Amino acid sequence: MALRGDWVYENNGGTCVAIAGSDYCVVAADTRLSVGYSIYTRDYSKICKLADKCVLASSGFQGDMKALQKNLAAKHLIYQHQHNKQMSCPAMARLLSNTLYYKRFFPYYTFNILGGLDNEGKGCVYSYDAVGSYERTGYSCQGTGGNLITPVLDNQLKSPSPLLLPSRDAVTPLSESEAVDLVKDVFASATERDIYTGDKLEIIIVNATGIRQEFLDLRKD
Amino acid sequence: MECIFGLVGDGFALIAADSSAVHSILVHKSNEDKVLVLDSHKLLGVSGEAGDRVQFIEYIQKNVHLYQFRNGIPLNTAAAANFTRGELATALRKNPYFVNILLAGYDKGIGPSLYYIDYIATLHKIDKGAFGYGSYFSLAMMDRYFRSGMSLEEAIDLVDKCIMEIRSRLFVAPPNFVIKIVDQNGAREYAWRESISSD
Amino acid sequence: MKLDTSGLETFVPPSRGLNVLPSDFTASPAFDLPGCTDFDGFQKNAVQMVKPAKGTTTLAFIFKEGVIVAADSRASMGGYISSQTVKKIIEINPYMIGTMAGGAADCQFWHRNLGIKCRLHELANKRRISVTGASKLLANILYSYRGMGLSVGTMIAGWDETGPGLYYVDSEGGRLKGKRFSVGSGSPYAYAVLDSGYRFDLSIEEAAELARRAIYHATFRDGASGGVASVYYVGPDGWKKLSGDDVGELHYKYYPVVTSSVEQEMAEAPVA
Repeated sequence: MALRGDWVYENNGGTCVAIAGSDYCVVAADTRLSVGYSIYTRDYSKICKLADKCVLASSGFQGDMKALQKNLAAKHLIYQHQHNKQMSCPAMARLLSNTLYYKRFFPYYTFNILGGLDNEGKGCVYSYDAVGSYERTGYSCQGTGGNLITPVLDNQLKSPSPLLLPSRDAVTPLSESEAVDLVKDVFASATERDIYTGDKLEIIIVNATGIRQEFLDLRKD
Repeated sequence: MECIFGLVGDGFALIAADSSAVHSILVHKSNEDKVLVLDSHKLLGVSGEAGDRVQFIEYIQKNVHLYQFRNGIPLNTAAAANFTRGELATALRKNPYFVNILLAGYDKGIGPSLYYIDYIATLHKIDKGAFGYGSYFSLAMMDRYFRSGMSLEEAIDLVDKCIMEIRSRLFVAPPNFVIKIVDQNGAREYAWRESISSD
Repeated sequence: MKLDTSGLETFVPPSRGLNVLPSDFTASPAFDLPGCTDFDGFQKNAVQMVKPAKGTTTLAFIFKEGVIVAADSRASMGGYISSQTVKKIIEINPYMIGTMAGGAADCQFWHRNLGIKCRLHELANKRRISVTGASKLLANILYSYRGMGLSVGTMIAGWDETGPGLYYVDSEGGRLKGKRFSVGSGSPYAYAVLDSGYRFDLSIEEAAELARRAIYHATFRDGASGGVASVYYVGPDGWKKLSGDDVGELHYKYYPVVTSSVEQEMAEAPVA
């Protein structure tokens, strides 16, 4: 391996949100890519469809984002050849965790959310740190706008902790269209206060009928 | 903080060590035995980093046993001390073990002996020695009261003097100590000196 | 069957398909190292960027009936609470659990790895691995990575042929056998409550309540601990989760609001 400088990362910003419902999952991310105060492009998709019922949204360093997404997609291709089926979302979640941890000493500088439907058709969201620790949640937000959006989602969707005993159902009470509207609202608000979030919002909705894509224009300043 | 000391008496050698497992300000355990019975007639008292300590002494112990299985005779104390030093010296230029060792043993025809081995692979045959913060007190105490050829009672009395001095003068004094001895009848635990219950 | 290769393509813009696979994608995964001149410096900076979850309270103790293990559920990055729902008690197999303090990913991954090793031991030897053995497997792995920046402070609790077992294992390679441990930033508080209320002949209910209270008091004093206090029990039939309580609600259970007595009644001043 060629010797490099001491530092090999950049933070290209961006925000990802995912909300799981009883029979759907909404995954959204803005399409701005920037470094410092310069905007590199207003049209970069941070979301990657890995399987029919599994979508990955990443933020952080674009180089690592792309490398990670391609790596997972390639592994999924092999999985399909070997098993003659697509990977389930929980399996993909574990694969992503291991993939991230295998680079524990040279991390993918990415913050990921995996959204989709689980084996029972319920919406699921997995949220990660850069080196692969993960948990299944009802909703999640990561990236530069994470600190702004998470408290709002907590307030609107507050789902009981999955650790509680007796356990309470943690699925978001919202309907699909309500969830999409909420996502649009939080992104519109985050755009007002985060310089790394804006330009355009890409929303992927996964449900029993398949995958749907929507766009919403955000402020471009 | 860590205190370990040993001395040679008339027909025996002994090692005393504190038994605290400390992490920053927390005492995780106060009955951690830091004096290993290496084989039937050897004691290995070790102070140093927790991970290195256990890994290193188990490695030494297993190799000393392996020698005995292969050759049918045990290493004598001097040989075990030189082997231990050699391993530390080899590791020193790669990934050093931060361990300080007192090795006590009894050999037929030679009698009791005590070896000082530190983490930079210094080997020295001594008749009294100590490591750790407690060494300031126990070394002075042993310099003053040690005579060659002490009886077991006199030696234990001296060990107790050292422990009491450490407990009363050392700010971060450990509460509990273990004392082990080795003589012609073998290596064994002699006593615990506990000032708090260890469970 | 039609293969789904859409993951190799980007959503936007749709025209730019990416069909070039990285040449080494079939290689078995291994730990990559950065090719920079100063690994320590790189590690230091990288750790700053992907800061592990710090601030935790976990505890475990052995008593007459088995082992009790308890933990909080908060993950914080500096002042920001990044999660209130972290599962800090990791289920290794039906007879063994581990706790998580330090780096979340380090703990999660190596416990998962330990679970695999324990299962393989079971298949090879037709009997379950001892807690002693399992904890040593973990300690040896962590020792082999010492100085490389792993951050793990864990307790391995379980039930094996010798009865209940409890070990403390950390990323410096330390491994201690004991009856009572607490790990994390809230551990001094938890130790205080635990030590004062501990007896070996506690009943399961009493032991669980002691553990819960110790976690509660730790979350009360330690800002980096909080969320849900989970309590697990390991007995001869394996582990069982006994309770999971929001510490916010526990507070009002332990200290119900008492309506304060009115010290002085306000009265209309008499007209002079």
